[in-house]
Amino acid sequence: MTTPTRPSLDDPSLAIPVEHAGIFDPIPVARTERQREFYALKDGELLLNIGPQHPSTHGVLRMIVKINGEQVVDLDPVLGYLHRGVEKLCENADYHQVISQVDPLEYISSLFTEWGAVLSFEKLLDVEVPRRAEYIRVLSAELNRVASHMLYLGWMALDLGGITPILWSFAERDEITEILGALTGQKLLFNYFRIGGVNGDLNHEFMSRLGDWMSRVGAQLEAGMGLLNENEIFVRRARGIGVIDRETALRMCVSGPNLRASGVPFDIRRAHPYSVYPELDFDIPTRQEGDSLARYLLRMDEVKQSLRIIDQCLHRMPDGPVSAKLPRLLRPRPGRAFSAVEAPRGLYSTYVVSDGTDQPFRMRIHDPSFVHLQLVPLLMPGNLIPDTMVIVAGLDPIMGGVDK
Amino acid sequence: MDRAFKALLERTLGTSLEGPVRQRQDQTEIRIRPGDVPQVMRTLHDEPDLRFEYLADLAGVDTGTTFQVVYHLWSEVTPDWLRIIADGIPREEPRVPSLTFLWKGAEWMEREAYDMFGLVFEGNRDLRRIYLPDDFGSFPLRKDFHLADDAAKSPGGGVRPMERATAPADADATTLRRTSPGT
Repeated sequence: MTTPTRPSLDDPSLAIPVEHAGIFDPIPVARTERQREFYALKDGELLLNIGPQHPSTHGVLRMIVKINGEQVVDLDPVLGYLHRGVEKLCENADYHQVISQVDPLEYISSLFTEWGAVLSFEKLLDVEVPRRAEYIRVLSAELNRVASHMLYLGWMALDLGGITPILWSFAERDEITEILGALTGQKLLFNYFRIGGVNGDLNHEFMSRLGDWMSRVGAQLEAGMGLLNENEIFVRRARGIGVIDRETALRMCVSGPNLRASGVPFDIRRAHPYSVYPELDFDIPTRQEGDSLARYLLRMDEVKQSLRIIDQCLHRMPDGPVSAKLPRLLRPRPGRAFSAVEAPRGLYSTYVVSDGTDQPFRMRIHDPSFVHLQLVPLLMPGNLIPDTMVIVAGLDPIMGGVDK
Repeated sequence: MDRAFKALLERTLGTSLEGPVRQRQDQTEIRIRPGDVPQVMRTLHDEPDLRFEYLADLAGVDTGTTFQVVYHLWSEVTPDWLRIIADGIPREEPRVPSLTFLWKGAEWMEREAYDMFGLVFEGNRDLRRIYLPDDFGSFPLRKDFHLADDAAKSPGGGVRPMERATAPADADATTLRRTSPGT
């Protein structure tokens, strides 16, 4: 008599084939030098997956973190979870349609993505934009910048475990979305700029709400910033974390507030002026420390400068048309144009090639968040896992722009 | 347009330039051979009267016949954007020297160009796909990669038909575009 055999996990016929491991298979085939270095684990090291759906990754960023105990040894960001192929879509849309295609890239500050596109098309077509339209563009874009920085303030604090600041910053941001909603008809993806101007003139609701908001925003901002700037836990966690020096920042092609926090006064609005920025009076705040706290404080300084610009725009707003007269079907001469705008996150540039038809032949979109995310593997080694959040939040990436 | 800058470029780069220095609006454009990229960039970056310290953009372009890599640089010595086109990269052997020795930040931009065009940047130590999965079989921004028929049509109806989903087997990339891109 034989005993019945019971299924055993050691039975080779029951083993799950390893070649069909899931998408989170931790160790892929190393294809490059960097991957071979990253996946060679030393004694005591292990790989940890963060994201892509983690609340502190600001979207769908996935990071493979190599840790030794609580310390991060190396880090490899994995992108593409939000990739929509916007550049290919732009090649198959006509020049007016492109504006709505680029809108959702930096979805927190979509007026700047529109501005980048229309600025390069205007260069291709040699269009002169009416002065009133330029002032309206500056006015609405600076409002958008304040909204974006306010959200950053809240998010940064939220990632560090503080719940209150995001409620305060959303009070401001909500009002700005309402104001821009009155102007553009949309609250998030505005689709407001047009080639040669903007979609509509200033209206009464916009002006009255803006005037009301401008009269009280200064005091409210001071109160909201005091909440964080004087918070010892926040300041001590952010200070000295993720330091970038001037040379590294330039070598890594960093731009915007992250570069200015490292002491380089590079701002496209002054370095390569566009629109009516040369006529406006504002400062470029810089800081020398280059850490997460400096990047945070610098953005708060920029909010004050943006409010100065908004104030000047309202006082100097000229009369006239808000859009140049252009045919509905645009066929620029064959040629190339490059334009860059200073978005809240840095240099946002567009390179467009025309072949004489009504659709761009090639539309290249350069998003600052994409470049800034390269800093994370550079800054992380040696820090603790909770500091990943401080560094990623401090660089302020928007995954819509990173993944395109 | 910065005329003095044009003369300075011609003087400094000399034989590296392919064709004339072109200027339009706020952009100055030069063309170079792909093999000259490291040397030209090194000159532009290090030369004390040029000082192009900032790389603003790196883009791949498919002209339908060959590939280009287009760099945009910024310097405080000129009010213009400097555009450098590494021209005439063959489709069969799309190899360009990497720029990561000078700007480490170009690494991901080159990965993106590799992902979208299949351009191989020699010297980039992490050249793999960045947006698309590793087993993705083609390079979507090439002109011979066709979108499906039901993509949004141009309201200019009839100006140029959409790229077809299934091109005839004998069609090459250039026939899908009637006109050539700007020169």
